[in-house]
Amino acid sequence: MSGNGLVQILDGNTFVVSDASGDIEASLTDPTGLFSFDTRFLSRWVLTIDSQKLTALSTDDLHYFETRFFLVPGTGTVYVDSQLSVIRQRAVGDGFHEAITILNHKDEPVELKVRIDAASDFADLFEVKDALEKKGKYSAKVEDGQLLLSYNRDTFTRSTRISSSVPARIDKKGLTYDVSIKPHGEWKTELDIATSLLVWGSRKRTKYAAKNRRGKSGMEANLERWIADAPRVECDWEPLKATYRRSLVDLAALRFSPPIAGGRSLPAAGLPWFMTMFGRDSIFTSLQALPFTPELAATTLQALGDWQGTRLDDFRDEDPGRILHEMRYGELPAFEERPHSPYYGTADATPLYVVLLDEYERWTGDTKLVRDLEQEARAALNWIDEYADLLGNGYIAYKRRNEETGLENQCWKDSWDSISYRDGRIPGFPRATCELQGYAYDAKRRGARLARTFWKDDTFADQLERQAADLKRRFNRDFWVEDGGYFALALDPDGNQVDSLTSNIGHLLWSGIVDKSKAKSIAQHLLGPRLFSGWGVRTLAEGEGRYNPIGYHVGTVWPFDNSFVAWGLRQYGFKEEAARVAAGILDAAEFFEGRLPEAFGGYERSVTRYPVQYPTACSPQAWSTGTPLLLLRTLLGLEPVGDHLIIDPALPRGIGHLELLDIPGRWGRVDAFGRGRVDMPRGTGGLRQQLGVEEPTGKHRRQRV
Amino acid sequence: MTSATTEFFNALSKREHEPMLEKTTGTVRFDLTDGKRTERWLVSVNRGDIAVSHKNAAADCIVRAPRKVFDRIATGEVNAMAAILRGAIALEGESVMAVLFQRLFPPPPRTANP
Repeated sequence: MSGNGLVQILDGNTFVVSDASGDIEASLTDPTGLFSFDTRFLSRWVLTIDSQKLTALSTDDLHYFETRFFLVPGTGTVYVDSQLSVIRQRAVGDGFHEAITILNHKDEPVELKVRIDAASDFADLFEVKDALEKKGKYSAKVEDGQLLLSYNRDTFTRSTRISSSVPARIDKKGLTYDVSIKPHGEWKTELDIATSLLVWGSRKRTKYAAKNRRGKSGMEANLERWIADAPRVECDWEPLKATYRRSLVDLAALRFSPPIAGGRSLPAAGLPWFMTMFGRDSIFTSLQALPFTPELAATTLQALGDWQGTRLDDFRDEDPGRILHEMRYGELPAFEERPHSPYYGTADATPLYVVLLDEYERWTGDTKLVRDLEQEARAALNWIDEYADLLGNGYIAYKRRNEETGLENQCWKDSWDSISYRDGRIPGFPRATCELQGYAYDAKRRGARLARTFWKDDTFADQLERQAADLKRRFNRDFWVEDGGYFALALDPDGNQVDSLTSNIGHLLWSGIVDKSKAKSIAQHLLGPRLFSGWGVRTLAEGEGRYNPIGYHVGTVWPFDNSFVAWGLRQYGFKEEAARVAAGILDAAEFFEGRLPEAFGGYERSVTRYPVQYPTACSPQAWSTGTPLLLLRTLLGLEPVGDHLIIDPALPRGIGHLELLDIPGRWGRVDAFGRGRVDMPRGTGGLRQQLGVEEPTGKHRRQRV
Repeated sequence: MTSATTEFFNALSKREHEPMLEKTTGTVRFDLTDGKRTERWLVSVNRGDIAVSHKNAAADCIVRAPRKVFDRIATGEVNAMAAILRGAIALEGESVMAVLFQRLFPPPPRTANP
């Protein structure tokens, strides 16, 4: 589950990262440990037998929430013919549980000293990232036969309570067992690690715990139900089936229940470091997954609505109506040393909120939620005109008010050098990036439909439609780069074009803001040699000043980005072009065993022959996980119209026969069928079999379910 | 001299209807401690209609905080959510009520218009 040999298991925002033998020996900056609610609750968890550490023979990833380690005593590189086997089986789910079993293979009894060292530094996730010092006090005590580790800073308290099914000698640094095992016998103990944070109040906490008290079988059943409820894919091309299944399981692992969502889940952004509510990531992933698991969208809309901004707060970059960027629960936000309680510095989540609400209704027919969220949607639409037009030119622009710990780039390309002119210069702030205007246009048009149909407010609907038409007219004039035949990446603070060619123009097709007359030129650029690598559309075109095929937002290919580009191409009738983008990304997925990374290198496909993974902290990433889902929708041309689902497939020939069965929606459940008819041009992408190109297959990493 | 807390609840009581709570129905009780004294404010919300009293009645959500801390929340100096995260405020019952209610607290004083 992680690239650097560390083993991870998780449930919601509780997760364990350990080495291959199950031990945790974390330094402040080392990302191992037991984490929950953005705090590390165990930084040391080491098992020894007669003072010897153990060596892993194998690790079995049973589920995303459960792992089993097979171990033998000794740490030598040469295999010792051990007379003992040790099995550590651990699961996360309302705390952390570990069962330790020791098997004696000898004909005679053994006497062993089994020891678990335990400690916690209670680091905030931000401290792990930025190596900050702690300001509070630690304590450890033995109480009621349990080891209690605590951290206190004023009223801030976090504690870890460790108990054992077999009585142990407990000291402040761990647990010791004096073990006798008969010939060919076994010994077993179960350890229970409970984490506590005095946040939601005692009664609430008990209730919360009781509700989520899931044994491991409960979690297994939950995962099985999740997969059974989703549509099924039947396909001649086996890798697509595998990719689809991987996406569903990963999406299950990425589910996160915010404390106020009544046990319902929304997609968190990425595993494990971004297991929290993010405006942008949760919305994009919900959009991608709508035809498959629409309930994620409902929770996303509800939870983001509950936390919608209501006041002007510079520290949190909060405005009335603004949808949050990121919520965190650790020590630094608690003491306002970081603004994530929640932080609102994103310029796209607010219009996208309205887009998701409308798209959700079109699929599900859940008019109740649309009526319930009228106020939130109106406030979001109001934010666009009232608070986001920082330059007074009728465009959404962003500039952080929290200069110290706020985010500079408040669009999805959020790295420092992501927004640049052709010559590589970087503009000042505020910045009005182009895709934000597309989202605003789409939000107004969709808002108009909601106002007319559900809120019974024709005046407001008319106003939104007029504004949208005006925005489209101005946008096609002000952002159009005449000598390039595409839309500028942004307008700078002086209203001049930031003129580089980027993948953002694909999002503009998705939003519908592009004049029909200009769409062809956009499609040609997206599939042209400067942007299209053969695997997908690059974030920044080859030839631009800052282009770098392994630059985070300046040349790599982002699967999520491509899924919306493909959807956009379909919207404007470029079926074959959409199929080519989809085919390239789905082909790449096979190299990653169905788990698309956040990004991969923008190298030409014909040069590298395989997609070069970009090093990244989080895998799976939610919107990469959602990508194959949206690509399936795009390939099959699924579009809800009234109470019907329109199916208009345009599949690459190599896919052969494709069936998506039991698609949920306002129509109940329907099936979609398609057959590959779109030919892929040689050498520019497409499915491997069809091209007949011999390419190395991906390295087979072992991955868990 | 009236405290910031009293002013906040008095102003709330005068408003009678609060659009930001139009979807909310339920009761929130604030138990504000000052030494041995506990000052109680019971706010009942009925689809945005607000009634404020000092009744010590059961509520859907109970917010417990030192009066001093709440005074600073009532002026916007302290952020309610951060205070919850650091345990300066304890919640009991339906915490979603508290999340919705925090919309009513004023912004931090330093905020300038954008």
